Order: sequence, then structure tokens, then C-alpha cells
Amino acid sequence: MAKESFDKEIQFLRMLVLTSGAYSRQQFAERLGISVHTFDKTLKKLKEVANTLLEQPPEAQGQVFTDAFRSNYYESADPLLLFLFQAKSLKETESLRISRILAALSDNQELTMKDLLDICCSGLDLDSAFPDEKTIRSDLKYLEEVGAVVKGAGPRPYRYRLNNDLVRQLSREELLDLFDFVDIMANTQLPSVQGYLLRDSLKKELVRQDEKKQAIEPFLYKYHYYSRILDEAHLSVLLSAIRGRRKIQFLYFSPKASTSYASQNTNPLFERESSGRTETALPLKIVYDHQYGRWYLLTHSKHQGIRKYRLEGMMQIEEGEAVSGELFLAEKSALEQKISTSWLIDTGRPVTVRAKFLNPQRSSTTRNFVKERVLLQGQWGTITEEAPHFFIYEITVNGTTEIKPWLRSFGSSCEVLAPRQLREELMAEWKEILDYYEPF
Amino acid sequence: MNPFEKIFNYRVTSRMEDTGVFLSTSHERSWLKLMLGHPSAAAAFSGVTLEKLQTLLAQEAPLNLAGDLIHKGSTQEVQVYHPLVRVLRRSIQNHQGIQVSMGLNNGQPGPEQSGLPYRLEYSMVKREWYLLWYSWTRRDFMSIRLQKIAAVCEIPASPELVRTTQAEIQRILESRRQCAVIEILPGYNKELSRILYAFSCFEKEVRYDEEKDSYSISLTYLGNEGEYVLSKMRFLGKRVKIVEGSWLKKRMRESALKALALYQASPDQTQSSQE
Repeated sequence: MAKESFDKEIQFLRMLVLTSGAYSRQQFAERLGISVHTFDKTLKKLKEVANTLLEQPPEAQGQVFTDAFRSNYYESADPLLLFLFQAKSLKETESLRISRILAALSDNQELTMKDLLDICCSGLDLDSAFPDEKTIRSDLKYLEEVGAVVKGAGPRPYRYRLNNDLVRQLSREELLDLFDFVDIMANTQLPSVQGYLLRDSLKKELVRQDEKKQAIEPFLYKYHYYSRILDEAHLSVLLSAIRGRRKIQFLYFSPKASTSYASQNTNPLFERESSGRTETALPLKIVYDHQYGRWYLLTHSKHQGIRKYRLEGMMQIEEGEAVSGELFLAEKSALEQKISTSWLIDTGRPVTVRAKFLNPQRSSTTRNFVKERVLLQGQWGTITEEAPHFFIYEITVNGTTEIKPWLRSFGSSCEVLAPRQLREELMAEWKEILDYYEPF
Repeated sequence: MNPFEKIFNYRVTSRMEDTGVFLSTSHERSWLKLMLGHPSAAAAFSGVTLEKLQTLLAQEAPLNLAGDLIHKGSTQEVQVYHPLVRVLRRSIQNHQGIQVSMGLNNGQPGPEQSGLPYRLEYSMVKREWYLLWYSWTRRDFMSIRLQKIAAVCEIPASPELVRTTQAEIQRILESRRQCAVIEILPGYNKELSRILYAFSCFEKEVRYDEEKDSYSISLTYLGNEGEYVLSKMRFLGKRVKIVEGSWLKKRMRESALKALALYQASPDQTQSSQE
């Protein structure tokens, strides 16, 4: 499938998940910048993939697609959006061939290319085209490249075997520990897509080994932004560009714009102004923001200096020319300097924020959850003063915009003392919020 | 490597399932190798297993992030593993009962309780593990921090008891379901994406009113999660308003009143330092 089509599907799924059923077909298509026809086609395709992978009972298949994504939190930690990464189209013959090769290599078999060619030809009905030696050779090369098969020891002709030591050498108990580890790490660390893919295969292996006892999933993860895995689609491309000190070019849709995608039309008759902008920049760092569960790319460009992009709005990313090592390092350390006091990614002027936090008014034996939270989430800020009923927290951050929501989330347990402007802003906001709930 | 490799294609995956082949790519193994470098790996495996895994992955290049990916605004990691995770997950899987004694603040073990473990829950907000279980002693569905557990041992439970307890857990979970409707103030529609991301960790449904050009979010949450919903609401401030859910509304009003009282009670002390 074309790269473009993936960009579309990621945007499609993101919108579907975030707005879960808010729009009609027409509205959805308009906002995404595609035709209703494309909307229908994309939906049909994603439904088909989801049904194959999620093994939904036939009666559930008719459900509205968004229902499938409504997480039933207490049921399972299965990351439903993972299937996006498995939705890549593959020719029917190719998928059949690849799975035949892999199946033949299971049971610890070591086979040569010739053996595999025979196996691939024997099972096909007469109508289908038989693969030739060259095709099988290139399949094997691909499978070796992605690490699914390995060449055995010994002289030519090479014998291939499945790279499945991970399950062959571990006992059932060890495999269960591995599943747990992968599950926990994929859910609590970044990046996670590779972990989710591995988790998926391990889960199936556990079910196969012990058919009576379904491998029940004992873990849940609370308040988890699972839509974050959609942006991981760009991660490998961006990391490799950073590694190679290469500029990138992409089409950018600001999340504040009303559309988030535009189809690339090959027919000039249907071409229209896309609302995205083409950008060129040198990628320096990728930032994951835990407050909202979003990803950013921080870049440098000659005329605009530091630029920040949301990964969510980036499309058609292409690598460009490499820059010199000195330039890259200079820009990178300049950026690191700039963001060393960013609450998130603000590169504005540093200010010192002082806030008074009130301790919960309970007996002294209970936990001081206000202080615990400030210590856990307050990043590099420090407590500068403590009294029985309150403590003062101080932090130097770039601008106050990014830290404000966090301070406000403490409600009446937090009073901002400085800077004065932030104090006044918060007072004004609380007044406005009070108006929302009055008269009551 | 790209996570869109054709080896992950859904047709290949589903065919593999039928033939019982376990498939892993170097891409996944590199990730695993990176994760085995995390200090929690030692708690996740026995020494022998960990060594075995390291040998098996010796040939793989670990996924290298080298500071190119950074985290912001996160909670400090308190624990990723807790020694009881391995023990309790097996009791859950085997449908066994447990006997638990909680640690009291004075360091003495508290009274013992017995019950059925249901799930282990990791809070991304507090970064630690909780056990969700039904206590037969207290006849209630409860959540306790693993940190609080002083001792635990497995006790047999008859299939009948497990079945009735599980049904009771489902009933309690169902009965604790709460619903609230949150409106995005139309002036903040430009921030829709940010607001929806902030709510993406909840079970929710969004409605759009074309005439008013306004969005409303119906949240479903469990009763004891109300405080967290409130902190999210305060986090987003004046962009959002609770339109349904009287308890939440009452608490938001209290928050605003108390916060304002706080600011009005203490005169602005910043003046002297600013001048």
C-alpha cells in the first residue's frame, strides 16, 4: 500500500477514536479532507482487518465500528489500535507464500530454498501462478532481513530455519514471565508498538501451549493514553533522520486547523488547495508529553530557528540532505539548553514560579497526598519552605502557560504566590469557573 | 525498523495463527533487549531466566534511543515491578483465593483478610501497583496498594465460590458506573484536539451539535474515580464545563469558591519582590 494511504488511515483512526462517533459520514469526511466515497472505502477496509484480527463473534461484526474501540476498561489491556500496524496491504499470493514458507519451517525444520519452492508450488491449485526460484529467494532474503528466519550453519545450499529460540528455549513458566514483562513494559514505557506486537505473539503462543487454560490477562493500566501508539508510526523514520542528521520534508496540518488530512490527487482536474503546509526542517529531538499523551518533534530550520511540530499533524515525511556534524551538534546542544527548563516544550523566557500548597486537613497518620503528588509530578521544582499546614514549592520554567494546568488541577490546595501575573490569571480563571456553576 | 513491515500484515498473522507458528522479528527482539536493560528486569525474572534471555538476545542490536526521545510532564517512576506481581498474577490465573495481611503504620501486620484476587492494576498517574480483589471478610470489592501488603498466601477456593464471587465483582463494577456530561465551551473549539487527548484515557462518547457548533463528551467512570475526573476538569480549567453529574458540579463549585477565598484571604505578596 502506498505510504499516503497509511497517513490517511492513521488520521482516520485517530479521529475515530478521539471523537468516537461525534460526526456523521459527511462531516467526518469533510473534516478529514477526503470524499465520502473514500470514507466508506477506508472504513470497510479497517473493519475487515479488525474483524480478522480481533476474532469478533459474527454478531458483533455488525456493530458500529466505534463501539469496537470504546474501551471497556475492566475487561482487558489489549491495545485495539495496534491493528493499524498490521493493516498494510499485501498481495494475496505474497501473504500466502510467506505464511507457507514460515509454516514449513516450523517444527524445527531446516530447509533449503529448493525444498521451500517445492512446498510453495505443491499446495497451489492450478489456476494460481507458481512462484519461481527468484521469488522464493527474495522472500527468504526479506525474512532473513527482518529477523524472522536465520540461515543454519553449514555449506551451500543454505538451509533456513525459523528464528523462534525465544519460545523454544523457554519453559512454560518462563514464557509466562516473559509475557508479563513484555505486557508491563509495553504499557508503561516508550516506545511500545514493538512490545505490543511481541506481546500479541506471546499471548497466542501461551494459548496454544495450554488450550484448556486460556491465558487470562491479569493486568490493567489506569489512565493510559492508548491513542499515543498511532503516532509511533512516525517514530522510526524520525529517529533514523535524527541519527543520520538528515533534514526532513513533510506536509503539516496544525491540530488547530479544521481539516487534518488532504488526499494527494494524481488527476490535476481534482487537485485542490490543501490546507497543509510543506515544511522542511532538521529534526533534533522527539518529545513525549505525559500530561496529554501527545508527541512532538523539535526541529531547527535556518530561517525560523527552533520549530515545534505535533507528530499528529505530520504527513508524507521524506528524508532530505544531511547536514554537517558540527552544525547538527551545535543546534542540538542549543536546543537542549533552551528546553532544559521547559515544563513541556516552551522555549520562552524563564520565570520563577512560587506556589503555596496546603496539606490535607486530616489526622497526621494519613498520607499527605498533596505533597506526594507534588514530589512525583513537580519535575525539577523543589520545596523551599515547610510549615505544619503548608509548604512552598518553587520552580524555574520557560513561561507559565504549560505549568498552569498542572497547578490549577490541585484546586484549592494550591495558591500561586509568584509571578504576579500568573496569580492574577488564576484568580480570574477561578472566578470564571465559579460562574459556570452558579446559581446552583 | 518500520513497524509497518509486511511481516506484520494481518493476513500473514492470521494464517500463522492457524499453523501455530511463533514469529518474532529482530525489530521486536531489539525492543526486548532495550527493555531488559531496565532495572525492573531483575524483579521480573529469576536469575536463570534473565541470563537465558540475555544469551538468546546476545546477537541483537538493542534499540538505541540515545536521548533522542525525551519524556516531559511525567510522574516519576516509583515502581515498574513489585515482588508480589509474579505471585499474585498466578493466583489470579489459577482462580485461587488469597489471604492477605496489610501492614499498619506502626510496622505491625494488620488483621488478616481473605478474598479472591481479580486484577493487578498499574496506575500511570501514581506509577505503582494496586491489587483489585473481592474481600470475603469485608464482603466488598476493594483496591489496595501492593506496597501496603505485609504478607499474602494462597488459599484454595471452590469453583463454586469463585463463580459466585466473580459474579458479585461484575455486579459491583456495574453498580459503581457513573456518567457525566462535559461540554467544551464553543470559544475553545480550536483546542478540541488537546481537550480530546486529555480525555482519551476515559471511556467516553463525543457528540457534536452542528447548529451550535459545540461538542459534548459523555464520560463513563467508576464512582471512586470521581476525584481523578475532577482533577482533569480543573486541569483544563475554563475550557470545559460539567453539564450533567451533580456531585461533580458541586465539587467544582466548591473548588472554585475555596480557591478564590484563598487568594482573597492572603494579600498579594509579590508586589514587594517585583518592585
